[in-house]
Amino acid sequence: MMKAIIRTEKLSKHYGAKGEIKALDGLDLEVYEGETFGLLGPNGAGKTTTVRLLSCIIKPTMGTATVNGYDILKDETKVKSITGMLAESPGLYEKLSAYEFLEFIGALYEVPANVLKERIDDLLKLFGLDDRRDDLLEGYSRGMKQKVLVAAALVHDPSILFLDEPTSGLDPRAALMVKDLIKKLAETAGKTIFVCSHILPIVEELCDRIGIINQGKLIAIGTVKEILTKTEKKTLEEAFIALTGGVEEKELLAWREHKAAVA
Amino acid sequence: MRPYFLYLVAGLLAVYVLFIAPSVVNLFMDDFSLLIISAAAVPMVQIILFVFFFYMMLVPISDTLREARTEQLEIFLSAPVKPSDVLLGGFLGRIPIYAIAITVITGTFTAILNPLGLDAVQKIIIIVVFVLTLLSAFWIGTVVAAILRTKLGRTVRGKDAGRALSIFIALPGIAVIYAIIGGGLTDALLNPTTSGTVRAILNVLPSSWGAEIFVAFASNPSNISAVAFETLTRFGGLIAFFIAVLWLGAKAANRAYSLESTTFTASKANPDGFFYKTIRHMGGGGSSGIVLATIFKDYSRKLENISWLVYAVGLVAMITIFLSDPFSGPRGPLFFASLLAMPMLAGLTVGTVSRGKATLFLYKASPNGVSRFVKARLLQSWLVAVPIATAIMAVQTILVPEVTLFQLLANVLLGTLRATVLIALLLGLALLIPVFAEESRERLLGVMINLQVVVFSTIGLEIGFSRAGLSFMKILPSLDPYLGTVFDHLLQTAIISFAAVALLYFGKRKLNRIE
Repeated sequence: MMKAIIRTEKLSKHYGAKGEIKALDGLDLEVYEGETFGLLGPNGAGKTTTVRLLSCIIKPTMGTATVNGYDILKDETKVKSITGMLAESPGLYEKLSAYEFLEFIGALYEVPANVLKERIDDLLKLFGLDDRRDDLLEGYSRGMKQKVLVAAALVHDPSILFLDEPTSGLDPRAALMVKDLIKKLAETAGKTIFVCSHILPIVEELCDRIGIINQGKLIAIGTVKEILTKTEKKTLEEAFIALTGGVEEKELLAWREHKAAVA
Repeated sequence: MRPYFLYLVAGLLAVYVLFIAPSVVNLFMDDFSLLIISAAAVPMVQIILFVFFFYMMLVPISDTLREARTEQLEIFLSAPVKPSDVLLGGFLGRIPIYAIAITVITGTFTAILNPLGLDAVQKIIIIVVFVLTLLSAFWIGTVVAAILRTKLGRTVRGKDAGRALSIFIALPGIAVIYAIIGGGLTDALLNPTTSGTVRAILNVLPSSWGAEIFVAFASNPSNISAVAFETLTRFGGLIAFFIAVLWLGAKAANRAYSLESTTFTASKANPDGFFYKTIRHMGGGGSSGIVLATIFKDYSRKLENISWLVYAVGLVAMITIFLSDPFSGPRGPLFFASLLAMPMLAGLTVGTVSRGKATLFLYKASPNGVSRFVKARLLQSWLVAVPIATAIMAVQTILVPEVTLFQLLANVLLGTLRATVLIALLLGLALLIPVFAEESRERLLGVMINLQVVVFSTIGLEIGFSRAGLSFMKILPSLDPYLGTVFDHLLQTAIISFAAVALLYFGKRKLNRIE
């Protein structure tokens, strides 16, 4: 039987004076050890809120969760020590070099000095940043910065990785590299990976199971096959639109037809 | 409210020009009359007009440098619009705002001349002189700002240099104002042996031509023929200058709106030398040392931060030179330190918590990250401010005649201690009311609010102590006055340190709860 390494119970996060904005609304979810789990959803669905709650960056309004058995409310430090996070809008110290930034993140997670240097060297080589290791990050392109941030999420070798839009802003080659890396981390390093994205092919290719979230509620969970069967659709894209409610192409282009008729 | 705003502003300006300015001028009319016929009139008005000219030019430059953005340029450049039209559009679009300043300045000066009995032609010429002078300055500022934005706004490094420049670009203007207030500049200009170069420079400036017309009309009211030559040459010169700067500015527009890359070189970080190795040790070595060194690097590599320090030290130096006579006793530097120098140094060193929330989340995502962040920021601010505070106190006390070694050491120690405590207080305040702004002007606003809170609290503390009779000299009348001040200073520093600890505690708690 697979061990649930992340378990949420009615996890909720509400904003506003009366809690009227429900960013996350009673999420019940289990993520198994060693699996790559994808949380799919449109913008503002609650993906980033989920990841921030599970990384103990914000606190839930109701409910709770455990990460590798540690309660996110009671064992904040333990949870942070065993997780790594790539944020959607990450903060970078742009006046640091890639090496200095990774060294800083390693220090925040108390990686021993002798291990840290070697690990940074390995990560910089792996991400093809070794020849620009001493360049200040302010001179990096968006894709290169994203590579540094993925490396930063790995520098303390966490057993659970939260990746919020990991390929955002990357060119196809870099995106493929990150995708391969995530696969390798899941397959060979045995890490549990929690990916948030709205890029369907990435989630489809990488994840063992996916959850679809909309307006703070989990509306579907399972393998891609299970979701397709349940929604009676042929592609994940169609299933996603059917579940979250999307605008048909026809509707989007209606204005052109109207214009043509007037002309 | 918004639809009526324009009418409200126009109404208020009319009230100012027609009623307030004449009433205020009437109060000082006797002094003005004496001044206007004195030998000091021309240099005085020249300097005043130069200051207005300088600041009118500086506002668009400083505004652009603070946030040099080139994103809009792509839209302009992709549209079939000439760069000179874009430049002119920017200038004309902002004129309503600048017109407020021009109206207030012109209204004040015409109010000064009104009781002297100038005829209508003279009044009209004076108004045109002021409008032309100030509009020329604003146009020059707009053109320079556009060129600087293009040069600096395309790279992170350039933007940083722009922000740094925007801070100390105002210092020369402040120096001139302080020199006027201090009285030395006007006296120096009246002295023919010392004023040669300065007068020659002033005479070349178009703002001085306007000043000469102003004084000539004031000395010859309703008699324009007596100063016809001066009027024709200076006024004609001003019109020619205005047309020339308009033409040159339009010519420079192509250069001002270019997105051609100027450089592809990337800045590199040097390996940690002795300095950063020492910083790491001071941070306790290991992980804490790395965090402190990182925050220190981030601080010191931003020219904007260094610029704030230069600004703080420059301001303290100028106040010392121009506004206060050399301190007659060793207590002077202590008062100056507690009321102005140290709060300002502390405020400008601490700045805001961090550039953006995203940076803070790096710490929040790591175990005990927020505590480490607060400790490192405190240490980093101390490491920056303490040497400067020590130097300021040492220099100011050494300048005191017949100062003893004990007084020198005590002043340095007390001043530095006050800076240390104020750093903690201001950091606590910055944590409690955090400003997470990417934009320089928003950060500046946050810093200035915190600074004002601390400056006024410190002044309030000093006055409160004095009113309540909480002075060691009053309690122990036989005590040496200097020692009395030292003990008063120590007691106040102790009170501030309690407030600092409380603010740091609540500030850290606030930071932990930020979402």
